Amino acid sequence: MPTIQFGDVQVEVDEDGFVQDPKQWTEDLARYLAKQEEGLDNLTEDHWKVIHYLRDYYQQFGIAPMIRKLCKDTGFDLKYIYELFPSGPAKGACKLAGLPKPTGCV
Amino acid sequence: MSVQGLSPHGLNLKQFSQEFRAKTGPALLSSLDACVRCGVCAESCHYYQADPRPEHVPAYRAEAVRRILRTQDPWTRWFPGWFGAEPRRGRSDEEMLRALGDVIFGTCTQCRRCTLSCPMGVDTGTIVRTARGVLARHGLIPEGLKATVDAHLKTGNNMAVSREDFLDTLQWMEEQLQSDTGDPQARIPVNKQGARVLYTLNPREVKYFPLTILAAAKILYAAQEDWTFSTEAWDGTNYGLFSGEDDKAAEIARRLEAEAVRLGVQEVVMTECGHGYRSFRWEGPNWLGHPYPFRVRSFVELMAEYLDSGRIKLNPAANSLPVTYHDPCNLARNGGIIEEPRFLLSRAVREFREMTPNGKDNYCCGGGGGMLAMTEYSQRRLQAGQAKARQIAASGARVVVTSCHNCVDQLNELNRHYQLKVKVHNLCEIVADALVLAKAQRPAASGAAAQDA
Repeated sequence: MPTIQFGDVQVEVDEDGFVQDPKQWTEDLARYLAKQEEGLDNLTEDHWKVIHYLRDYYQQFGIAPMIRKLCKDTGFDLKYIYELFPSGPAKGACKLAGLPKPTGCV
Repeated sequence: MSVQGLSPHGLNLKQFSQEFRAKTGPALLSSLDACVRCGVCAESCHYYQADPRPEHVPAYRAEAVRRILRTQDPWTRWFPGWFGAEPRRGRSDEEMLRALGDVIFGTCTQCRRCTLSCPMGVDTGTIVRTARGVLARHGLIPEGLKATVDAHLKTGNNMAVSREDFLDTLQWMEEQLQSDTGDPQARIPVNKQGARVLYTLNPREVKYFPLTILAAAKILYAAQEDWTFSTEAWDGTNYGLFSGEDDKAAEIARRLEAEAVRLGVQEVVMTECGHGYRSFRWEGPNWLGHPYPFRVRSFVELMAEYLDSGRIKLNPAANSLPVTYHDPCNLARNGGIIEEPRFLLSRAVREFREMTPNGKDNYCCGGGGGMLAMTEYSQRRLQAGQAKARQIAASGARVVVTSCHNCVDQLNELNRHYQLKVKVHNLCEIVADALVLAKAQRPAASGAAAQDA
């Protein structure tokens, strides 16, 4: 299992870069992943709104929300979500939020 | 360590060999025996193209299976290597089978390009699939692949989307359809008894990328098709093809068949999903042991029929950037759908450029065989996509179109990894953007155009 050295801690990730233990997630880790995985130098308020929404939803339901729910509850339209996270909602947004890799063709 | 000892998964070499041979039909038997070790298959494989190691020669993978089978021949007991059997080298049965698992799950996308190049017609993809099935039955299967099959059987779709969420997403897209067509009567029908067409989806469309649902609905609307979704069986994927578990693959196919019969449709149309099409159209009747009482086609074939018969009209001015087409292995080489996407693109885009080679000789994108679900092999998957990345770059195209949601994901990863600077789209998005609607409403930007904006 690959690890990323991040500050003083070693964080285990899978080969796709998804964090293995959601408890190891911090905002600093999200910033680091944003740079490494998405090429984003800084995360805007809207990025954080999506990331925190995903984490809250996952903690409550144990699964990533539908893009439909994400759009409805954040008030962002679909196109804007794709713009915010170039790798898409699963491999971009969910990865930065420390959620596990989804099943299926993603 | 006991040679005959059961592994924790309850599988030893003897059982593996017995179960494998029990699944062996005439086609597989000839593939097992016919290899003459000429090595022609090496160059045909995208793994070998990217990293020319002996382990990446297709014959090596098939031979890895044969070497395990030969351990059970009585004369190979003392000097296994002399007789082409896998030597033990101090390993337990389970360790030897795990090593086999790494080869057959981790270095083959079952694309079958090697079979076309083989002078003996050895079907390595099928040898690999059969061996996967035996290991999977005993729990020796990558976790992500298992979870995808399990989610499908447990929840009716491989991403565990609830019925409520499915309907909510369809309603959302229906509102968008009405807005784009300017027709408040435009519908995305659900559970319509006696509809002509039952349309299926890949769950990633519903969960994360619903604009392809909108694009398909727009084309079906323009063609004035009598169609429906089903809330009971809408997932057209079948990861049983990749896990090799025939019983689970058959159960997934059986559910879709039963729902199509219940609704009384004339035709089941598979979304742009390569393995889903191959599974349901070509493999399903074999798994189930009988033909379906309805027709099965890919949406690509249906769109081509609409265009050919004048039911839809396209304006290529809507897609002005140079476009190339990636043939999904399971539609082209393994499904025979080669001319239809090219016919559609010839009318939907201004400039079309072929990759070389293409059609039945295309290179796999590297994401086939369930690779996207097996995160432990992601680095190999990206490396194995190098041949495809080179083809795309050489085409000079700015947009890569394909007819497989799985290929779309892998091509997007190749785009980032190899910095190809292209856009990747499903064929239906390109067709939808080029639609000329009969009532002369001008469709608002959607699908490909919206994502490119």
